Amino acid sequence: MKQITQFFFIGLILLSITVIYDGCFILEEGKQAMVTQFGAPVGEPKTEAGFKLKLPFVQDVSYFEKKVQIWDGDPNQIPTNDKTYVYLDVTARWRITDALKYMQAVKTDARAKSLLDAIINGTVRDTVNKNNLIEIIRSSDWSPETMTNLKYDDAPPQIGRDGISDLILEDAAKVTPQYGIELLDVMFKRVNYIESVRLKVYDRMISERKRIAAEKRSTGEGQKAEIIGKVERELKVILSEANREASEIMGKADASATKIYGDIYGQDPEFFSFYKTLQSYSSVIGKNTSLILSADSDLFHYLQKVDSK
Amino acid sequence: MSNQDQQPPWGKKKKPQTPEEMVAQLIKKLQNYFSDPPKKEPGQGTPKSTTPSNPFASIGKLLAIVAIIMVLQGVYASFYKITPGEVGVVLRLGKYNRTADPGLHFKVPYLDKLYKVDVEKIRTESFGFRSRTPALRKTTSNRTDLDMVSLMLTADKNVINVAWIVQFRVNDPQAYLFKIKDVHQAVRDLSESVTRRIVGNMDFDYVLGNRDLLAAEVKQELQKELDNLQAGIGIGTVQFQDINPPDKVKPAFNEVNEADQDMKRLVNEAEEIYNQKIPRASGNAKQIIEEAHGYAVARVNDAKGESQRFLSILTEYKNAPVVTKKRMYLETMQTVLPTVESIYVMDEDQQTPLPLLNLSRGSNSASFPPAKQ
Repeated sequence: MKQITQFFFIGLILLSITVIYDGCFILEEGKQAMVTQFGAPVGEPKTEAGFKLKLPFVQDVSYFEKKVQIWDGDPNQIPTNDKTYVYLDVTARWRITDALKYMQAVKTDARAKSLLDAIINGTVRDTVNKNNLIEIIRSSDWSPETMTNLKYDDAPPQIGRDGISDLILEDAAKVTPQYGIELLDVMFKRVNYIESVRLKVYDRMISERKRIAAEKRSTGEGQKAEIIGKVERELKVILSEANREASEIMGKADASATKIYGDIYGQDPEFFSFYKTLQSYSSVIGKNTSLILSADSDLFHYLQKVDSK
Repeated sequence: MSNQDQQPPWGKKKKPQTPEEMVAQLIKKLQNYFSDPPKKEPGQGTPKSTTPSNPFASIGKLLAIVAIIMVLQGVYASFYKITPGEVGVVLRLGKYNRTADPGLHFKVPYLDKLYKVDVEKIRTESFGFRSRTPALRKTTSNRTDLDMVSLMLTADKNVINVAWIVQFRVNDPQAYLFKIKDVHQAVRDLSESVTRRIVGNMDFDYVLGNRDLLAAEVKQELQKELDNLQAGIGIGTVQFQDINPPDKVKPAFNEVNEADQDMKRLVNEAEEIYNQKIPRASGNAKQIIEEAHGYAVARVNDAKGESQRFLSILTEYKNAPVVTKKRMYLETMQTVLPTVESIYVMDEDQQTPLPLLNLSRGSNSASFPPAKQ
């Protein structure tokens, strides 16, 4: 009898431990939970972390992520509106906002991924199709200041990359709430040309660079020619100015010399011409000169007679 | 087993050799200990102890040992150490309770749960770097994947190769632990997305020339996006290591650089010519001017001197005009005529000198011999 009561007590203790253990659960930070009774959801989803009660045995708990999760789409090749094929890798951040709907409509994370794949990829394809490549490259805050070589037709994008992501987010976010999912953002992680287009782009880039190189060389030649021309011009300027100045100086000197001569010689022009003529003889008459002089000349008239006329 | 088979049946009882046997012996001993109370002194023991085999007594002992182990383990588990640079986040019954700084701390066993986060450690994510290990580099998939990370489109629709690193540390451990499922992946995704967005706003040459500006913008925007997600992460540095044209385009870029050098060289050559010629020409010009000045001074001085001389002679001439005039004439003739080759003195009456004239040079017949001075 005593043994039976002891068995009974121990059984009771074990039972109550199990009941207590199964009658409560701990919800950790970053998680949320849904209580179900024979598979049917009971009450609101539990989103606050802490110690929770439930009915033992009849109720079960399903845990879901409360943290922000990352959806990483598979890269896609999509043609843009201007028929360029781009390789697009899109990523999105999402979280479960309604654990009940999520549990009913999605159940597993793998299914969540495939659902998001379908929703976002489709929206991305539609939106990218409708826009030109430049809209996907540049964002709405593009400014000419960040361009070294601004082209004449460069204009701010109409929507821009951020605008397109917002459009995708807006469209996709309309669908996700029915799955208890909130989409926080959609981002273009990678945008590139597909391989074949990229090679073409490389060729264009090469030709562009070659053009720039040719331009630089020709600019160099031009600058050289300009400088050499400048050299010639400056040489002429310098020389002619010097000559002009020299002529001016000499002219002034000649003028003042002339004035001096004039002033002095003008005092007796007759004597001046006599004096100057005599002076000039010494340079005019030389070795190669033969003179025929009259015997009557001042020099020789004494040759014939002593008395003057 | 074969070993045991070889044992002779008569020998001393052999000690267990295999681990199984040792475990079996241990269990047997334990069983003996619990089920058979010590019977060393029969008769002296209390009646209770002699009561044959109470199964609960043994269970009680087992429970007691389990309880002691649990208490010991609980005591051990209630102390924890946070090393410098770490922060402990304590959850009580799953709910955030407190954050512990470095040091020795106490927590309630079984109710509190501890997460340690290193908040000093600088974590690095790198993007677009070629792996240094050749084995990894060989695989083509890896290569294209790297290309996909590092290749970006610029605002002028060109392709550029960019490699960069992002360094960050945890600045809000609670958010870091519980807000985002895979924080590091989020950092990777966001920094790729942000970098591409900003590079997409710049044209090729601008990206090449403004890596500091690019890094600053990426850092700012990345931090903003992470704050929006409450990632609990502070970006330390964003550093762009390699910003290059794609490999295939590189030679063309080098050609541009060469052309640039050529351009500078040509200009330098021209300037060399300039420097050779112009200063010399300036010097020559100064020479011409200086010579002109010299001429001017000489000319004026000559004029002054000559006219002064004339004036002096004139003054004296006026005193005796006839004689002076004659004297000057004769003196001049005296100096001039000896240099003349020949002089013919003609009588006024003789009209034709020509028949007499010997025109041949060198003959001094009929010529007037030069007067000796």
